[in-house]
Amino acid sequence: MEKSIENIWKEGFIKSDALIAPKINNLYDQKSIHIIDKFKRMFKINLIAIVAFSFVYLVVTFFIGIPIMGTIFFITLTLLVIVNKRLLNGLERINKGANSYQYLKAFNQWINKQIAINKRMSTFLYPIIFMSFVFGFWFKDAEGIPLGERLVNEILVGFPNTYLIYGIPLIGIIIAVLIVSLLAFFGGRIYMWDLNIVYGRVFKKLDELLTDLESLRN
Amino acid sequence: MSSDFYNTSILPFAGIIIKLCRAYTNSQEDFEDYYQEVCLQIWRSKDNFREESEWSTWVYRISLNVCLTLLKKKKNNVQHFVSDSVTVEETEASYAFSDESLNLLYNAIRKLSEIDRAIIMLYLEEKPYQEIAEIIGTNPNNIGVRVKRIKMKLKKLLDGKIN
Repeated sequence: MEKSIENIWKEGFIKSDALIAPKINNLYDQKSIHIIDKFKRMFKINLIAIVAFSFVYLVVTFFIGIPIMGTIFFITLTLLVIVNKRLLNGLERINKGANSYQYLKAFNQWINKQIAINKRMSTFLYPIIFMSFVFGFWFKDAEGIPLGERLVNEILVGFPNTYLIYGIPLIGIIIAVLIVSLLAFFGGRIYMWDLNIVYGRVFKKLDELLTDLESLRN
Repeated sequence: MSSDFYNTSILPFAGIIIKLCRAYTNSQEDFEDYYQEVCLQIWRSKDNFREESEWSTWVYRISLNVCLTLLKKKKNNVQHFVSDSVTVEETEASYAFSDESLNLLYNAIRKLSEIDRAIIMLYLEEKPYQEIAEIIGTNPNNIGVRVKRIKMKLKKLLDGKIN
């Protein structure tokens, strides 16, 4: 006669010595491999790196005479850090002691929120960085006059019929608008592409777990 | 972590933690990582325990939630949930129990979805449907229906293998 799974379970663990707890060493110093802790670590490292980089960049741009570029860069990245610090606080609030559905749902909502916000910010981030380069070099001092004006004067010598809008060649404006549009269009996509390479499988699996739990609730 | 907390609040429930962790891993190394992580998370989250449920239910919840979402990095830097990759074929021989029937049952359990693994483990631990439902986050009736289905699946997987 076949044994029931209940009997296999009971008898197996009576006979077996498999319930000996492994030895725990320096548990408090262990690096957590839990997804939420990994995200927290990744966020913290990224935020510290962004703050350090933008500050160093600001100082360097002052020294090399393109402070506008460094200032725009610094303000933009500071806003990015503030927004992501708030997102990190949301991650701290996820309760691992909640039931599995609430826990996975809360984590999934946090992921979707951070993806949506960062994707949207990437749409603006790359164009702003590009424009900070343009403004930085345009207003860089070149022997008493801004580098941009000097460049326009030289263009006008070679091409006197160049059409200007507020002192800027139309062709330059068109090229800048085109680059900004392309960066805005691809900014969010680059962010998603980058994220999916590393975490695509995790997000898919999380969706599967939630779908299974939702089917169990209906 | 204070050894007092471990001895009084975790060790009495080590049995279910070990059983759960084994269902989501296929090597001794992964199992030990899981066990450590579950203990670490129980300790870190202890202040969030509001006594709305039994301490044991809360320990099961954390153990399960941790087991469902432990991350590992693959060689190409891609992250994945460890429980996702558990296949019976890859289970280390040295990781087996001395009881052959129990091994076959565990191997069959590892073939189930992550949620089904959790439900059947709690059922086998003789937790009432109400408590399983509280841990998973659903209602007891649906747990009852799902347990029946899982048992049928396990029966099929074990068909003729155990006398």
